[in-house]
Amino acid sequence: MQGFDCQNVLSRRARSFKLSPIQQLSLLAQRCNAINLAEGFPDFPAPLHIKEAAVAAITADFNQYRHVQGVCEKVASAFEMAHGVKVDPATEVTLCCGQSEALAAAILAVVEANDEVVILEPAYDTYEACTILAGGKPVFVSLDPPFWSLDLKKLDAAIGPKTKAVIINSPHNPTGKVFSKVELADITNLCCKHGCLAITDEVYEHITFDDVKHVSLASFPGMKERTIVTSSLSKTFGVTGWRIGWAIAPSALTSAIQIIHTKLTDSAPAPFQEAALTALQSCPDFYKSLKQEYQFRRDYVCNFLNDFGFIVHFRPQGSFFVFVELPSEVRFDDIEYVMEAINTLGIAFVPGCAFFNKSGAEENLKFHVSTDLAKKGLQMPRNLKGSNDASENLVSNPYKHRYIRVAFCKDISTLQAAKLALRRQCK
Amino acid sequence: MASSTEGAPQTVASDGKSNGVAVETPPTLQVSKRLEKFQTSIFTQTTGLAIKYQALNLGQGFPDFDGPDFIKEAAIEAIKTVGKNQYARGYGIPDLNRAIAARFKKDSGLDVDPETEVTVTTGCTEALSATMLGLLNPGDEVILFAPFFDVYEQLLAMVGATIKFVTLRPPDFSVPEKELREAFSSKTRAILVNTPHNPTGKVFSRKELELIASLCIKNNALAFTDEVYSKLIFRGEHISIATLDGMYERTVTMNSMAKTFSLTGWKVGWAIAPPQLSWGLRIAHSNLTFSTSTPLQWGAVAALQAPDAYYVDLAQNYKRRKDYLVENLSSIGFKVYEPHGTYFVMADHTPFGFDDDTAFVGHLIKNVGVAAIPPSGFYENASDGKHLVRFAFCKDDETLRKAVERMKIHLKPTSLKSTNDSAN
Repeated sequence: MQGFDCQNVLSRRARSFKLSPIQQLSLLAQRCNAINLAEGFPDFPAPLHIKEAAVAAITADFNQYRHVQGVCEKVASAFEMAHGVKVDPATEVTLCCGQSEALAAAILAVVEANDEVVILEPAYDTYEACTILAGGKPVFVSLDPPFWSLDLKKLDAAIGPKTKAVIINSPHNPTGKVFSKVELADITNLCCKHGCLAITDEVYEHITFDDVKHVSLASFPGMKERTIVTSSLSKTFGVTGWRIGWAIAPSALTSAIQIIHTKLTDSAPAPFQEAALTALQSCPDFYKSLKQEYQFRRDYVCNFLNDFGFIVHFRPQGSFFVFVELPSEVRFDDIEYVMEAINTLGIAFVPGCAFFNKSGAEENLKFHVSTDLAKKGLQMPRNLKGSNDASENLVSNPYKHRYIRVAFCKDISTLQAAKLALRRQCK
Repeated sequence: MASSTEGAPQTVASDGKSNGVAVETPPTLQVSKRLEKFQTSIFTQTTGLAIKYQALNLGQGFPDFDGPDFIKEAAIEAIKTVGKNQYARGYGIPDLNRAIAARFKKDSGLDVDPETEVTVTTGCTEALSATMLGLLNPGDEVILFAPFFDVYEQLLAMVGATIKFVTLRPPDFSVPEKELREAFSSKTRAILVNTPHNPTGKVFSRKELELIASLCIKNNALAFTDEVYSKLIFRGEHISIATLDGMYERTVTMNSMAKTFSLTGWKVGWAIAPPQLSWGLRIAHSNLTFSTSTPLQWGAVAALQAPDAYYVDLAQNYKRRKDYLVENLSSIGFKVYEPHGTYFVMADHTPFGFDDDTAFVGHLIKNVGVAAIPPSGFYENASDGKHLVRFAFCKDDETLRKAVERMKIHLKPTSLKSTNDSAN
């Protein structure tokens, strides 16, 4: 009996993937019981009124396949109120399993094999991954440190006849930057000039600080008809595990996204669609105190990071992450530092290189993580192929290995514990 | 469901040359070619008509009764627990992976590693889409039995696979050996097997699965199985092809909470496959949905610990409904192909004098007040299904009784000639 030939079992798309550094480190951090300032979800309870709505939905038997059009209506009216853009809930909103699926469906709906998709770095790794899954080609444009400013010439040069879309994430993960009106107007001009689409990730739309306002790219003249906006309940309402998100797009694109979505998952979890009705009716005070709570945590964390020598180039204007540069006296690169922090400090961060493409990050990470996992009797999957020369990249782009992302969406006690651990080490 | 446009994707007029200034007319936008084959689903259309004409809906395959309280309570408990409303581990919460492995061991005898061989997905739908995106290349040949659940064909089209159809025909819908052998070749990448089978209610026999297995092994092909109705068996036994010699290493076995626990809206499913195959589908899954709803996964943990009595009751309750519907459909004049599993039954509507299934179902909805699904869209050649109709009996007793009553009163055979029941 011939054995099964495993050589070519993965699809070509899947073969080009490497392990997600964020997920791998998170496993390691869990095993070491580290203080988790890595993952982007709260460790404090979700709002009571929303949980109660979900419980009520389950109890009232909202448990079969359903599409709750009311959620589309609320999403549409909230968008209009916030950004002044009229959205037709019947034809311009798709409910999805989280913003993750909304983005995947959007990309699968519009990206053809060999289409290019422009991604601004540093970037959340799924933008690149979804592009590849759709057969497209990611094209990276680096935002310039230390303020992650957008160089228009670079962006203009990166967009060409093969560009299907530009992905804009604002408020931005991992840097906490909120794209300004001027920047968005510039991006608008380029998209219109080149005739390409824009796909936005606005999941942190309600988490902004210091009176900075999140403005949606879709609200700029000429952009509504060429923009797919994606967002979700997850970050705003602290329910990252519910998987309720949406895409807002002109009707022809929405039809396409809707079709792809029904093939990918068929529908979003029914009881949480019901609960979304309640969530999306939250009063203005909810959003106000959301900002206040997170701003307090932002300041607390930025202060102690600063005290302990990390370089906080600017306080994040949005999201619940701060992207800090390692203290100059720290000789490690970001991955080594993060490993060390897990092992000796008991704190988990995310190495900044996880958000840069082709930085050799994966190769470095694979080595470090597999060594560490081996110590714990764990194994990495055998068929990972890394292809980049880490050392070459360090020389040409040293800053890509000097940052760590710190999440402050945590209970104050968690943040205090982290501060104490850092203080002990500094003594 | 929000109405979706039918037919081919739209292109909109170009916005013309601009000088960087915003323009009024919409841009040229082209949706991906992968959407070319999609139209509004027959299920959406039928339900729309059913609502319009206030017909009793024996069309769409979801229950009008709800799942067990103990499962709902477990999910509710999770919602009330800090941490359980946040991201689950991408491939499933450890407790659920373990529960799935334990249940699979009980059902199939196979030992699988919950960490590397079980992946939790957003329903069986996402298990399928992740499997296809992770393991199939554009141009790969995949064998599909007709009639098929329409999503299979659409997903395969979405990933650019080439489909080879093998048609199952009444009265037994048995696997045609010669046709199957001809469909397989060294170019075959995978075969998709749905057992128990929607829409026919067929349960693939051991002999049929052994035939499929031998051809997979001979041609070095994969098997993707959708076993969501595995607990709804009335005759024979459910066999996972992964248990046959030489098959586990090349099979992705998929299932979900939906049908077994009457919670079709929860979207908790899973794929069981050897590490290499699991890796591929996990990559796709992590970028499609990242993770599956956490509190509902906790509900699933409780569900999978249901005692054997639960499954016995489930099958008995469905069998009772099946017997009721089959008997009555027969007496009304249908030629009924009695299902051995699932909650669907296929019947031949020829005695009622309509040219095809769409016309028959149209009449059934508008003039009789009962909705069913016209299955011709589940075949490569629509004509193979035009004399058939699919009824669902995942409905409460009262709904079934009323539907039968309406058909008894308003549906009359046009002749007394019996249907030709030889295989087509």
